[in-house]
Amino acid sequence: MTDGSISANRRRPLRTPAAEGGAGIIPLRFGDDPQVWACWLYYEDRLTQGEVADAMGISRATVNAYLADARERGIVNITLDPHRLASLTIAQELKRHFGLHDCLVVPSQEPGDSLIDSLGSAGSLVLRRLLRSGDTLAVTWGRTVLAVASATSITGLQDVRVVQATGGMTASIVGSPEACAARLAAGLGAACVPITAPGIVSSAEMRDMLMAEPLLRSQFAALGDASRALFGVASLRPNSTIHSSGFFDAVPLQDYLALNAVGVVAGRFIDVQGQPVRGPLDERLVGLSLDSLRQIERRIAVAGGIDKVPAILGALRGGYADVLVTDAATGKALLDADGASALPRPAPRSTAESTEGAGQAEVQRRHVKKFLNDPDDIVDEMLDGALRAHSDYLVPVQGARRAFMARTAPRPGRVGLVVGGGSGHEPCFLGYVGTGMADAVAVGNIFSSPPPDPIARAARAVSGGQGVLFVYGNYAGDTMNFEMASELVQADGIPVRSVVTTDDVASSRAEDRDGRRGVAGNVLVFKVAGAACDRGWPLDACERVARRANARTFTMGVALEPCSMPQTRRYSFSIGPGDMEVGVGIHGEPGVAREPMQSADAIVDMAMNRIFAEMQTAPGDRVAVLVNSFGSTPLMELYVLYRRVEQRLRTKNLTIAANWVGHYCTSLDMAGASITIMHLDDELADLLGHPCDTPFFKVGP
Amino acid sequence: MHDPAVRSLLDMFARIAATMEAERDHLSDLDGAIGDADHGMTMALGFRAVVVALGRLDAASAKPADVFRTAAGAFLDAVGASTGPLYANGFLRAAQRLDGCDGLDCASAATLLDAMAAGIAQRGKGSRGEKTMLDVWLPAAEAAQHALADRPDRFWTIVLDAAERGAAATRSMVAVRGRAARVGERSIGHIDPGAVSALMIIRAMAESFKP
Repeated sequence: MTDGSISANRRRPLRTPAAEGGAGIIPLRFGDDPQVWACWLYYEDRLTQGEVADAMGISRATVNAYLADARERGIVNITLDPHRLASLTIAQELKRHFGLHDCLVVPSQEPGDSLIDSLGSAGSLVLRRLLRSGDTLAVTWGRTVLAVASATSITGLQDVRVVQATGGMTASIVGSPEACAARLAAGLGAACVPITAPGIVSSAEMRDMLMAEPLLRSQFAALGDASRALFGVASLRPNSTIHSSGFFDAVPLQDYLALNAVGVVAGRFIDVQGQPVRGPLDERLVGLSLDSLRQIERRIAVAGGIDKVPAILGALRGGYADVLVTDAATGKALLDADGASALPRPAPRSTAESTEGAGQAEVQRRHVKKFLNDPDDIVDEMLDGALRAHSDYLVPVQGARRAFMARTAPRPGRVGLVVGGGSGHEPCFLGYVGTGMADAVAVGNIFSSPPPDPIARAARAVSGGQGVLFVYGNYAGDTMNFEMASELVQADGIPVRSVVTTDDVASSRAEDRDGRRGVAGNVLVFKVAGAACDRGWPLDACERVARRANARTFTMGVALEPCSMPQTRRYSFSIGPGDMEVGVGIHGEPGVAREPMQSADAIVDMAMNRIFAEMQTAPGDRVAVLVNSFGSTPLMELYVLYRRVEQRLRTKNLTIAANWVGHYCTSLDMAGASITIMHLDDELADLLGHPCDTPFFKVGP
Repeated sequence: MHDPAVRSLLDMFARIAATMEAERDHLSDLDGAIGDADHGMTMALGFRAVVVALGRLDAASAKPADVFRTAAGAFLDAVGASTGPLYANGFLRAAQRLDGCDGLDCASAATLLDAMAAGIAQRGKGSRGEKTMLDVWLPAAEAAQHALADRPDRFWTIVLDAAERGAAATRSMVAVRGRAARVGERSIGHIDPGAVSALMIIRAMAESFKP
């Protein structure tokens, strides 16, 4: 009963009324507030209103009035499970915004099979609600439709027919039109009307001939009687299942993409406004037309997944669906995309989204204080200062803007290691140039890759006759510029290999390891690669071990406050007072998810659980640990994090062969930290322990 | 003797630079929602460098191809990042395609738009629908071809209309490339800053090319 409110989940009775004082005397702990007492007895002790009346020595009507007043006064708050609540709110908003007959939204989950399964169950629930005896149901194809069919088992309906909405396709496909219709008919105890022709035929003439066949005519007559339709919505995104569905094999989807098609409904292409996109297939498709689909009384679309948002938007705007079954994340995205989101958000993004009139409303205009001269000069002034501070280690690369090399480079007979990236990450990347680590660095604008020219000049300058290895983080800009530089340098006859770091586990799923970005784990990969180069390994071997170092390195970051750019001195986005940004990178960009703030140990546990899920270790294995500040998080807090990291590793019987705690790869003044674990093997452990001497990374001999 | 086409192009780059300077904070704010909040600064910096480099060009003997080649190098060296190689490649492609042209009519404008779109698409290996600057450049280039064939009198109206619709359409797209791809679904509802700056460039083009 803290805060004067009690939760309203009525539990089982804990004690009898007699246990509590005598009738009519308020027990001391309720003060003199009979309403609180009444609420306690009713909600916590689960008495009936009559029992409460007896216990309190008042009438039932008074109890009833007390309970009602308590709601109004806020003594009692009734809460729904937030996930359920969000689903309900989103469903209501979708129904209103798109003028739907009905809408069902399932709570969000990871994309993949579980999403399709829960859409399937929800779809079958909708069928149970909307199907009546005597209905004819037109059914398309696809994995989602098959999931609905598989989840459906409805008895008691009479004279229901299930009709294929299109012709068929090869049986090897999961969710073929035939399978969907047959399965659904079985689940409904309905008659099944197939379309006994291929879904796509070779020519318009062939289609016309087939359509003249009496059998097909009768099947299409049944389709014309449809009073209900059930269909999925396919996306045309590159990774969509449409490309592997088999239905559109041999169709140039690019032609449709060029005409702005975003999705497919019942085998027909539509754009984001729902307009049909005409193409070569129209005359060759044996199936329901979009116009006929729109004539059907109830049209149930079952579709979820963020990649389908433009396609579903088209299906809704075009009026092809009047009942939508989707998941909460997709539903919310649909509303956002249509500019309709009136939903409460955990923390509104602090940006003006409209093209007209920048910087309204919530953009934070308070300037962050910084040590600055002209903000446009900050990168050059920083580099000038660093060069002076570390003149024992660094010299400029001749003729290059913003490229620096070790005083010891080039070293004949050894592979040269060139690293680089945007500025704003100091001491990354120039702090790791010296002996035994990077030989040269190219530095870009804040959070921006350097252009090809300084990279190429650095590479030529440190080439010792054995080739050059590039190691850099996986970002679109860095990849383009380093690739261009690599072409320039190789044209001069210097062999170049590139290893792109991808240690950020939050940035995409494990199967998409190559698509992940490189973050603080960079530093450990530089160390391993630099040691290999220093030992005089050939280019092949240096590249190979750098790749393995990257593959065995896992980083997870959490931001507490965003960073501010020197030019604007404003935060680039906002993180609510009670929130943290999980899975954040090193560029002050929003992370993967916004979550409520937790204790340091809970945050470490979340990060470590994520890392352990991917890092296959055995007891006794060795690891290296890097606990890194994003800029403004002090060492004090980093040690608190390290403490828990160490506990978690110890309980798994892992040996920490080396650790680093501090500022290694920052994001300007961002508050937050990342945890990096490198899973060592003998070779990696050996190379990590190899001596190196750079301004910010030293390993003694 | 100044090449009139060169004069128009110098005017065009000066306009683009001024627009980017004026819209710097706006573009950065758009970027802050889904990226790292530096797009305005990047574009302003890049075109400032282009204007400086073009100022050193001998305008009397320069050809349109020289203007674009100079712009490409200056933009790339000043910017790096992903925007640098993308626009640099667009400008280089424009330099090749506009080699030998004198005077800027609708046909050369259509060629320029096509070269920009193709150069950017090639370097970024991108296509439309990915919530990038290509969602403006590609439809604008296509509209230019159609306008040239059907309604040359309304050339820029048609091109700008396509570019504007392309930029607006990015709001409902999910980013799949660049840094915004990391926020995935959370990019929906936000217009793409690269698409907005592309629209600004095409508007500046229209101003400079209109007779």
